[in-house]
Amino acid sequence: MIPRYSDAISDVIGGMRAYDMWGLIGWREIRRRYRRTVIGPFWASISLAIFVVALGIVWSQLWHLDPKQYLPFLASGMACWLLFSSFVTEGCSVFVSAEGFIKQLRVPYMMFVCALIWRNLIVFGHNFLIFVLVCIYAQVPLNWNWLWIVPGLAAMCVNGTWIALVLGTLCSRYRDIQQVVASLLQVLLFVTPIMWPPSQLTGRAVYLVDFNLLYHYIEIVRDPMMGLPPSPWSWFMVIASAIVGWSFGLWFYARFRRRIAYWI
Amino acid sequence: MAHITLEDVTTDIPVYGLQRSLRKALFGRVLGGVKQEKGNKHIVVRALDDITLELRDGERLGLMGHNGAGKTTLLRVIAGIYTPTQGRIHIHGRISTLFNTAPGLDADDTGYENIYTCGRYLGMSKKEIADKLPDIERFAELGDYLALPVRTYSAGMMTRLGFAVATTIDPDILILDEGLSAGDARFAERAAKRVETLISRTNILVFASHSGDLIKKLCNRAVLLHHGRAVVDGAPDRVIAEYHELLKTPQPPTLTVAEEAPLIT
Repeated sequence: MIPRYSDAISDVIGGMRAYDMWGLIGWREIRRRYRRTVIGPFWASISLAIFVVALGIVWSQLWHLDPKQYLPFLASGMACWLLFSSFVTEGCSVFVSAEGFIKQLRVPYMMFVCALIWRNLIVFGHNFLIFVLVCIYAQVPLNWNWLWIVPGLAAMCVNGTWIALVLGTLCSRYRDIQQVVASLLQVLLFVTPIMWPPSQLTGRAVYLVDFNLLYHYIEIVRDPMMGLPPSPWSWFMVIASAIVGWSFGLWFYARFRRRIAYWI
Repeated sequence: MAHITLEDVTTDIPVYGLQRSLRKALFGRVLGGVKQEKGNKHIVVRALDDITLELRDGERLGLMGHNGAGKTTLLRVIAGIYTPTQGRIHIHGRISTLFNTAPGLDADDTGYENIYTCGRYLGMSKKEIADKLPDIERFAELGDYLALPVRTYSAGMMTRLGFAVATTIDPDILILDEGLSAGDARFAERAAKRVETLISRTNILVFASHSGDLIKKLCNRAVLLHHGRAVVDGAPDRVIAEYHELLKTPQPPTLTVAEEAPLIT
């Protein structure tokens, strides 16, 4: 099937420009999920808080780490992980769950990807509060490196977007992939230094860190959250993956976009 | 100005998730039981078969045909939702579609909230919706129910709400699927009247229905679809007569098998 770049590009740009629409869809999805609950999206934050406190106490003992250092590390890592992993898992179903729209209206499909990114950024905002509480407990000093959170998040979203676009298209046709991705992510959470500090690794295992894209996606947001300066290697990896990923993603999307309506 | 052209449009709809045994049986039947299933073949339904059609300003096309004749698929192709498997299509003008219900209707939201969101999905601005709200309220005849969640509505009330919102837009090209027939008799009458005023604001209408009366009332041209082919194209009266003729000799549709690479199908 011949790629139709003009179609794909106008879809992507048109989708991004419909910010009022994806803003609306994103908020509505959050409202729908937590309807008639009293604290709404804070339920996600509470489960994160319980996880961080429980695991933080036990694991800091196991690894003989100072809880005041480990807890902020764990909380920031998990908040970033939850954000990125929902880009991936929800990306798999982004078009399938928009079937009602896609089969009734002519809309740029990219709009649904943007809505997904936006919705998860809102959840991240709620989770961020937990991190702030942990910081207050651990007396983490505030410094200017915090400002790097914004470009870090932006870079993570740029990558999350092409991943969701590709996975959403692929999973519309092959429903098994969603299950594969879910199990893979589960493993990746444990082999990537998210819940354990990378300094625990020695020898060859450092490859798990240096060439693990997932680690760098997390790191560009977590480093500034921890008040650390941005790491050039992480930024290099993230920007490189954005360039390669978007080039591939556009080619892929240009080929298969017009089949999505048939697949879902 | 609005304009639609379809040239030799063919649309195959792939069918996934068939059980192996069923697939085998279908392949056996379609291919005469000779060829084994292998490679990347898929069962497809040829929903549209070589359709050529041109619509200009002022034309109101009625689509008739059996269930499964390809009416909805043709509407979706014209709306730009389905890209045809073969052939070319050119559309000029702002399109608005109304398939069964209003898009994005959320049962837990109130009527007013749904008017707002559905309106936005259909391409209206906040201001446009605010301007048209009194008109929507008047037509929907839901009174205080508009302040209640839509899940408390009956099916007919929901249709009324969706219809009221969807018919307030000012598109160049309006695409309507059956939907109209729902609701009580009084609603059907008022709906027909409302569509008439809507049509006076639009340049091209494409409308699928089983009802000869509605087609006669709303359309100045009709096409009869049969197994995805446009068998008759002409004045509504003639097409309706042919349609009733066709109803006397029902023919069950058949399936075709297409060979395509796995990612493409």
